[in-house]
Amino acid sequence: MNTEILPDERALRLGRRERALAQMEAHDLDVLVLGRQANVRYFSGAPQLWVAGTRPFGPICTVVRSTGEIHLNSTWDEGIPDDIPHDHLYGLAWNPMTLIEVLKGIRGAATAGRVGTDALTPSFAKLLPMAFPNAELVDGELAMRAARRIKTPDEVAALRGALRVAEESLVTAVGELRVGTSEQALTGLLLEAEAAGGVSTPATQDGAWVTSREHPWRRARSDGRIDQGDLVAFSAGVLADGYVGEVGRTWPVGDVAGPEIPALYDRWNALWDRLAAACQPGQPASDLLAAYEGADEPLPPMPVSHGLGLGFDPPVVTSELRTTAAQEILEPGMVLSVTGYVWQEGVGAVFGREAVHVTPDGPEVLTSSPSWSRAGVGIS
Amino acid sequence: MTTALTAVTSVRDIPDLPDRARMYRECGARLRTAMTDNGVDALILLGNGNVVYATGASWPLLDAGLSHVERPVALVLAGDAHPHLFIPFREGAASESQIPADHLHPPLYLEFDEGVHHFVTVVAELIPAGATVAVDELTGAMRRAAYRLFPGGPPSDAAPVVGAAKLVKTPDQIACILKACRITEEAVVDVQKALVPGVRQIDLSARFVRRAFELGATANMLEAIWQVMPTSKADGTWTTHGDLALPLLTTERELAAGDVLWTDVSITYTGFCSDFGRTWLVGKTPSARQQRQFRQWRDILDAVLKVTKAGATSGDLARAAIAANGGQKPWLPHFYLGHGIGTNAAEMPMIGTDLGEEFDDNFVFPAGMVLVLEPVVWEDGTGGYRSEEIVVIIDDGYVPLTDYPYTPYGSE
Repeated sequence: MNTEILPDERALRLGRRERALAQMEAHDLDVLVLGRQANVRYFSGAPQLWVAGTRPFGPICTVVRSTGEIHLNSTWDEGIPDDIPHDHLYGLAWNPMTLIEVLKGIRGAATAGRVGTDALTPSFAKLLPMAFPNAELVDGELAMRAARRIKTPDEVAALRGALRVAEESLVTAVGELRVGTSEQALTGLLLEAEAAGGVSTPATQDGAWVTSREHPWRRARSDGRIDQGDLVAFSAGVLADGYVGEVGRTWPVGDVAGPEIPALYDRWNALWDRLAAACQPGQPASDLLAAYEGADEPLPPMPVSHGLGLGFDPPVVTSELRTTAAQEILEPGMVLSVTGYVWQEGVGAVFGREAVHVTPDGPEVLTSSPSWSRAGVGIS
Repeated sequence: MTTALTAVTSVRDIPDLPDRARMYRECGARLRTAMTDNGVDALILLGNGNVVYATGASWPLLDAGLSHVERPVALVLAGDAHPHLFIPFREGAASESQIPADHLHPPLYLEFDEGVHHFVTVVAELIPAGATVAVDELTGAMRRAAYRLFPGGPPSDAAPVVGAAKLVKTPDQIACILKACRITEEAVVDVQKALVPGVRQIDLSARFVRRAFELGATANMLEAIWQVMPTSKADGTWTTHGDLALPLLTTERELAAGDVLWTDVSITYTGFCSDFGRTWLVGKTPSARQQRQFRQWRDILDAVLKVTKAGATSGDLARAAIAANGGQKPWLPHFYLGHGIGTNAAEMPMIGTDLGEEFDDNFVFPAGMVLVLEPVVWEDGTGGYRSEEIVVIIDDGYVPLTDYPYTPYGSE
């Protein structure tokens, strides 16, 4: 972040646009009407106001393949790249018909044969044909997903920046871990550090929590107090320059007595070796599920992995989508967020999340936050 | 529906803390009534705010880019007292819920054909054949499977159904909004103390988010806005309408003495939003001209509040605001004089938008509606004035929820 709101760098912007336009061609789309924040940024390169959670579909960004012209829903030009001229900006509107009138006026709308949208509401399904009278309305998210799954070198650089902020914030929060503090205080510290590090836009807001000794994944206690012997999980997620950086670690509270906690970290390390080894180009994403099975660890309830980019990118690897994972072949240029999670009754859980760049030579782990080890290596 | 619903007629009716079981019961009843009124037998809800409303579940919301994949989904049947909730596990998520175990299900992945393929069997089991179905969003995978997912024909839009239910808040929902406001205001006290020349905009964001979470916020809802206002409209950022830009994003800019800030922050408390906005002045006391801006704003607000009560229309409030502002609209062309608030930071009604005067005149306020009023005044050379005030509509007027001073304005 700087003292000015700027559009994404030209090379980053154009590299993405080239990929997305190629996918429009491959999917035979004349026009894309995008409402999702990640897709809008991917095409436009313009920062947008961060608001948490899902938002209903609306025509925020429209791209015409034949002209390459981008029309963007923005009331001002701050942060808008100069290749989107003022007459291609349209202001915030609350009446869907105002937006339909804007779309009608876009060169190429009247003659478009196939128009893709990245999501849809039943209302816009009825209204969009007024703006695109000759078009078949189809899914455009598949094309965007295909473009987004492989990162350009400039995107990988942006992701490194996001991960740096996430890791520094995590270290700050871990530094305040002690008996008597609380989950809320640690989460507050983590989010404060993210914002002070230049990123006031969290990607995740779970922060910190005491892992349960009784249940594989529930929270340990409702008052959020941190006690001696707790295993406390930290999860930092930021959205920096539009890109998601996520990292996770688990730290014990106080001196570790007995062999149980070190044994659990050993299990995590053994699982992680298998997970990292599964991030090979040419291999199916389902190898990440197999890594758990190979390490004899139960699959966790959260996805084992998802792509990192401007949001969730393919693959999404979870036991609920086994066929999808088996068909998804890892390729160089993918960046994955990979989660290792092990639990022991009476002890708690060790949760760790790393970012892995799939390169032609194999996995490159982009995260390097300190982890607890029995040798007592702490945070310097 | 025989459930006797509670209602807010004065501040005494707002409980200190929400009764979650009652809130769940009453929201469910309101939603099912709205379904019956709209002839809808089954609702499929994907939008975070709609799922919070329908199920009482709340969680620390994810960024938009993540949240469309890993999101809870609700399936509501008009004839069932409990909604079905399909909830993904975010590590560390709290698991309090009023929903019985046989209505809680593993997550759905409706972005993917495999996930929708599974959902087709779920829908076939839960939704009776021939039922009228409404949905708030269709993913690409849902559209590809539309004939199997919706064998009775294309679904209608769930937004008006949920919107009708959401309009009137129950006392427990108002208690949630009030708690969200109190957390926000307490956190903002610390932020305002830090407002000195040289502080960076993001330092204010950092201090705010830390205090808000320490005080019990469930999620940060909005990138905090600390917009430095221009000297004149002509000096400001270019806009499509030639009026002021708002909100412009926060940066590492250091604030300087004399900067006028328009602020805007929002958090959730168990799924219900706060909304906070004040105008601040860095390192100085307001000039006589700046104080006049504040008084003009206050006069507009008072004129609007004078007509604010159950039975009034959006049009009544808009006309009162315009009259108090010498015939000009005291709000920005791309925004509104006011908006509703609940599980979304801005809900219906939006007052004074491109939806038009007829829409505003036909929008009659019911008692129990919660409204955020945010008039704006501007005179070149002063930085203008904008603040937000939240009120609950009652039969003979309104109950204010916002409780925060206007310092440094209004204290000559």
